[in-house]
Amino acid sequence: MASRMLSWSRAASIGWRDLKSAPGKFAFVVASVAIGVAALVGVRGLSDSFRSTLIGQARSLMAGDLSARIFHEPTPDELGKVAGVLKHNGNSIRATWVTETISMAWMQKAQTPLLVSLKAVDPSEYPYYGTAELDPEMPLSHALNGDSAVVADEFLIRMNAQVGDSLRLGQKTFKIAAVLKQEPDRITAGAGLGPRVMISEASLKESRLIAPGSRASERLLVKLPDVLPKGMTATRETAQVRSQLEAALPDAQVMDFREGNPALSRGLDNATAILSLICLVAMVLGAIGVAMAMHAHLEQRVDTLAILKAMGADSTDLLRIFVLQTLGLGLAGALLGVVAGVVVMMALPSAFGNLLPVHTVLQVPWKSGLAGMGTGVLTTLLFCLPPLLDVRSVRPVLVLRRMVEQGAGGFKGWAERWLRRWPQLLLSAALVVPLVAIAWALSDSAVVGLSFGVAFAVALVALLVLAALTLLALRLFLTLTRLRLPGSLRHGLANLYRPGNQSAPVLAALGTGVMLILAVYLIQAEILRDLRLTASPKLPNIFLIDVRSEEVAGVKNFFAHRPDVTQQLDLLPVVMGRFISIDNKPLEQFKGQHFPIRMLESAELSWADSAPEGIKVSQGAWWKSSNDAAIAISEGLASRLHLHVGTQMELETGGTDRMLKVGAIYKPDGQHLSARVEFFVPSGLIKSQPATWYGGVHIEPSKVGAMERAFFAAYPTITVINVADVMERIESVVDQITFVVRLLAGFSILAGLMILASSIASTRFRRMREAVVLKTLGATRMRIVRTFSVEFSVLGLLAGAVGVVFANLLTRVLLHTLEIGFHVEWGATFIALFGTAVLATATGWIASYRILGLRPLEVLREE
Amino acid sequence: MIELRDVRKWIQNGARRVDILKGISLTIPAEQFVAVVGASGSGKSTLLGLMAGLDTPSSGEIWLDGTPIHNLVESELAVVRGRKIGFVFQSYQLIPTLTALENVLLPYELNVEGNGLSKARQLLGEVGLQERVDHYPIQLSGGEQQRVALARAFVVDPPIVMADEPTGNLDSTNGRLVLDLLLDRNKRAGTTLVLVTHDPDVAHEADRRIVLKDGLVVEDTLPGSPKSLVQSEEKNG
Repeated sequence: MASRMLSWSRAASIGWRDLKSAPGKFAFVVASVAIGVAALVGVRGLSDSFRSTLIGQARSLMAGDLSARIFHEPTPDELGKVAGVLKHNGNSIRATWVTETISMAWMQKAQTPLLVSLKAVDPSEYPYYGTAELDPEMPLSHALNGDSAVVADEFLIRMNAQVGDSLRLGQKTFKIAAVLKQEPDRITAGAGLGPRVMISEASLKESRLIAPGSRASERLLVKLPDVLPKGMTATRETAQVRSQLEAALPDAQVMDFREGNPALSRGLDNATAILSLICLVAMVLGAIGVAMAMHAHLEQRVDTLAILKAMGADSTDLLRIFVLQTLGLGLAGALLGVVAGVVVMMALPSAFGNLLPVHTVLQVPWKSGLAGMGTGVLTTLLFCLPPLLDVRSVRPVLVLRRMVEQGAGGFKGWAERWLRRWPQLLLSAALVVPLVAIAWALSDSAVVGLSFGVAFAVALVALLVLAALTLLALRLFLTLTRLRLPGSLRHGLANLYRPGNQSAPVLAALGTGVMLILAVYLIQAEILRDLRLTASPKLPNIFLIDVRSEEVAGVKNFFAHRPDVTQQLDLLPVVMGRFISIDNKPLEQFKGQHFPIRMLESAELSWADSAPEGIKVSQGAWWKSSNDAAIAISEGLASRLHLHVGTQMELETGGTDRMLKVGAIYKPDGQHLSARVEFFVPSGLIKSQPATWYGGVHIEPSKVGAMERAFFAAYPTITVINVADVMERIESVVDQITFVVRLLAGFSILAGLMILASSIASTRFRRMREAVVLKTLGATRMRIVRTFSVEFSVLGLLAGAVGVVFANLLTRVLLHTLEIGFHVEWGATFIALFGTAVLATATGWIASYRILGLRPLEVLREE
Repeated sequence: MIELRDVRKWIQNGARRVDILKGISLTIPAEQFVAVVGASGSGKSTLLGLMAGLDTPSSGEIWLDGTPIHNLVESELAVVRGRKIGFVFQSYQLIPTLTALENVLLPYELNVEGNGLSKARQLLGEVGLQERVDHYPIQLSGGEQQRVALARAFVVDPPIVMADEPTGNLDSTNGRLVLDLLLDRNKRAGTTLVLVTHDPDVAHEADRRIVLKDGLVVEDTLPGSPKSLVQSEEKNG
């Protein structure tokens, strides 16, 4: 038998003709795609802009992308190697040296000189990110022009001086040009002693303060190019330059901007994770909407399909026609969605004003737009193929009679029906591959893409099975109680099992939607809770340096009675020590091996017999006894020195050598005082030795100036470092993260709800016929309302229950990978459960209310 | 020529088997006008569907012009339906979203190379609808819709036309008009016409009358013969 195949162009023309003749019927499909794509473009575009803003904030806390600190003047060899690194990375990479030291400052007015924390910068380069705020306002390059200096407010308080006065540093006299209100890298710069005085590098040389052997630290600040080479990401570029710097300056402490403030980095990481998740959820919800819409669309067209088959079309022809039609619909929806998404992106920043820290989105987001477009068309096609394959099973004999052949009963019949649908099953299973690819592209991470794709596929199968089992259980209940139930309830429940009804897929789609939406809510709630904990507004914003042991009681007393103290004083003892060997290898042997030996030769140690606040043990365990020969080391340093639990370290303190074993490696949160030292030992080992103390306290920001004056009067030798401004900036960033995550999660949830609503609405046409038949048989409107309400609400409740169970499981797993604790949110869980029932019922009726007013003949004549 | 050899059709609903056709054998030569009659549920439409390749028999053989169609795969059956058979239904079965012209054009587009537009227009003219070519089915009366369906059935010049109660939903004037168009095609183009009907007057005009009851042929009357073929075959057999 000769066979022929419908050409693509003819298939396109038939599909197009079908499409344009009844555009209203296709609006639903287009709208579903559009909502999904709009959510994706809006969320992705906003989150991209937000992420870059956030990274900018994190960079400003270091004033550069990378910093390398050494404790000596760079040797010509080191300078040559650094120049080599810069040259290797092209012309657009920039770097500048910042010198930090302590020095005595003299003023004619004051009787005694003051020890100051001196910082010398090249004002034409520094800072690369953020700004040095001066009072009166002026650019730093202008303020540090010639023989000028800028000083912290504390300096003026202590010296009773004012702007315009002169001060002498070494052999040079400077004029105070302005008050340094805020320097961007105050937290990451060395703590130093005394108030800050900043001058230019050129003047530092003239002052002759720096001589060989001076106690100065040199910090190289590096700025990576704004436009990276093709194929290079900011993370990879940072890592590459970092390793080059570590090689060029083996003794240096090298940090990148992410380490500048751990709370912000963690916020950034978690915000990135949740925003990627929201993007993926938006995509999957959109895809579900499309698949449901296409399923409903094909179901309405069964008669047309049968007629086409009766006229000689085969399944391949029909697939060709409908695949092209679907592509067209996907394309139209995706285009509409991209436009809507861009409108959302443009509208949100102006609607939320300063709350939203995204000010760079007013350009057309091509990348997000193209990603949305591709994802929209691809997901439409992929998710529509399984329902499209159902055209194979449409029998042309339907044009003669609606004969419903159920096939064999029992398990055998069920298995036969499923086996007949093997292409759909195979295709659905294969969908995991493109899903992983899309998730990968959206999250920029293969691991995230793979885990999301696989987890989603597993969850979907589990959801389908659970949905089918739940329906089976309900059916059993219905069989057992059948005639004892009220008529509307019985009929409503029976509707779930009407032949050809898609209760299980609708239940699975609705359940998946509920699962994803609730998971987004639960995860964002937990992440924000965690973020608030590590960046609490009560963290110290004032640090005290060099408190002597005999001053401790008085300092405690000073803060205990001040009303402006919002978080009580926290004190950390510090004892100096020197490491002699690591695993019996003397320290000298590590020279030239990228090893910051200087940090070990003059190490700041503290004691604690349990993990202090702000410290999380990541490996090993804290010691049990205060006399154990153990030591705990921060994670960053352990990794730099290649130390691990069990490493033997020989330490000398107060003339006593001890062999200690690394018992715990910990992660400091960077916000508490405990982050100021890198080593902790049991109290019994060093408590008896002379210690100096660091203090941290939180004062109401507006009262800091007054407190500083009073404190200086009482304790003139203790240095106060005010980081209130920086802490306020961090808090504001955390507020912004919170706001953006909530906003985007809310947006995604809203889009999800609309898509779920449309899934329910897709069953409208089946219902219409049924309502008419009921009316013909004499049913009142109220009876129809009751019957359908039972069906809608039971469907909603079941979907809610299934979704809630999986949402909690999914959240638990995802939070575990983010190292965040999980709490069952009973409130949200119950709202999701009953909210789904209410939503299902309400949407069902919004989509179906017109059928109550239909005259039976209208519908029956169209049959 | 259409040939059926012991064709049976049943459907399985759970444990229950419903027999629709219980063993039908008959031969319809080319150009013959056959009327299939019988009460509701006797199996007329199922028989027509099987002969047209719209469904496959549970057992038995169906041959169309020497080709066995009972065991063809779907794509081959589609070719048979598209090229050899024109179908007319009681409820017209026009695609509601397409105009009259587009409905008529559709089989041409599915089955024949080239442009069928002029042929479709010509056929619509022949059935008296040249002024209604751009109307949608819902804008046409029942009689007009059935005439569009006739034009659609003729557009690829199929050698066989099968009609399932084509006048069942029409008044007598429109019914007559439709029947005349079918008969004209049968006579003028030499098309085999198999027509299922309840109407004795329509059946009377046929060359041959096949009566079905409970899934069996109980009477098969050849043109001009008062005797039933079934009865004579039973006697001979």
